[in-house]
Amino acid sequence: MNFDLYDFYEEVKTKRILYFYCGPIAHSSIEAASYTLRKHLQFEEAGNSTTQAVFSIFIEQAQNILNYSAEKLGNQEDDQENELRIGVVVIGNEGDGGYFIYCGNRIHTKDITQLESKIEAVRNLSKEELKALYKEKRRKEPEPGSKGAGLGLIEIARKSSRPLEYNFSPINESFSFFSIRVVVER
Amino acid sequence: MNNLLIEKTQSTPTIQFDFLSNVLKISGESFPENTAKFYSPVLEWLREYIEQLDSATEVTMEFNIIYFNSSTSKIFMTIFDMLEGAVENGKKICVNWRCDEKNETAIECGEEFKEDLDVLPFNLIIEGDQ
Repeated sequence: MNFDLYDFYEEVKTKRILYFYCGPIAHSSIEAASYTLRKHLQFEEAGNSTTQAVFSIFIEQAQNILNYSAEKLGNQEDDQENELRIGVVVIGNEGDGGYFIYCGNRIHTKDITQLESKIEAVRNLSKEELKALYKEKRRKEPEPGSKGAGLGLIEIARKSSRPLEYNFSPINESFSFFSIRVVVER
Repeated sequence: MNNLLIEKTQSTPTIQFDFLSNVLKISGESFPENTAKFYSPVLEWLREYIEQLDSATEVTMEFNIIYFNSSTSKIFMTIFDMLEGAVENGKKICVNWRCDEKNETAIECGEEFKEDLDVLPFNLIIEGDQ
């Protein structure tokens, strides 16, 4: 394998990546990353609203990987509480003082239609419509299969400055790679 | 009834529910690994507390939350709906939603809860640097 760590470091620096992670995610990894991410954004003088938006999107996305990634570390069928799920997270600078939060994980190909319709249902709504939908769902029972409140995607869309960008790449018959890219402008 | 005390972690708030003073405080961050599991004893305590409450006792619930995730938002709404129900039944409860003047997100979130409540007194208290 020909991997030059210095080249990698330089590329990350040049592309102004603030944070990246690829591998098994535990709740403690999210806690640790959230601490350094906030410090980093403060250091960059991102401003309170921008910092909060980036932070919030990061938490929702990372918790989505933790809850829904179809790729797990090893075979942990009997230990569902402590299972680690695998995903990739990149946060970087976008344009003039903005940021992108780019996350991906494996999903079951059969789940694409449902996920796509969930994203499409929020991606073109106005901020007012998103607020109304958020409030409506907040008082409703979560949908079957949801491990949280079912509000994560709406929250991400509310904090995003542009319509959510997403993609599904086929891996094999059973699995696909899902990615979602969210931009916060300053 | 016992007090409910839960110490904060990096992703869960401090819970200080004081049965004698009738001041119930939630402060810090809230993005637990399992939100339903973390808040289950909190909701349970509140249910019991409201049940035994008479209509003369004045209760203050203090929120001072820096950040909370979307699943916590749903739990908070559940708490406010419980309190609102109690107020409709003649209990004297008010909520103080405290936030730092620089935390625009927390201020906005407070406003959005307030918009969804009818009878529960919900005070948005914006605090400057101490």
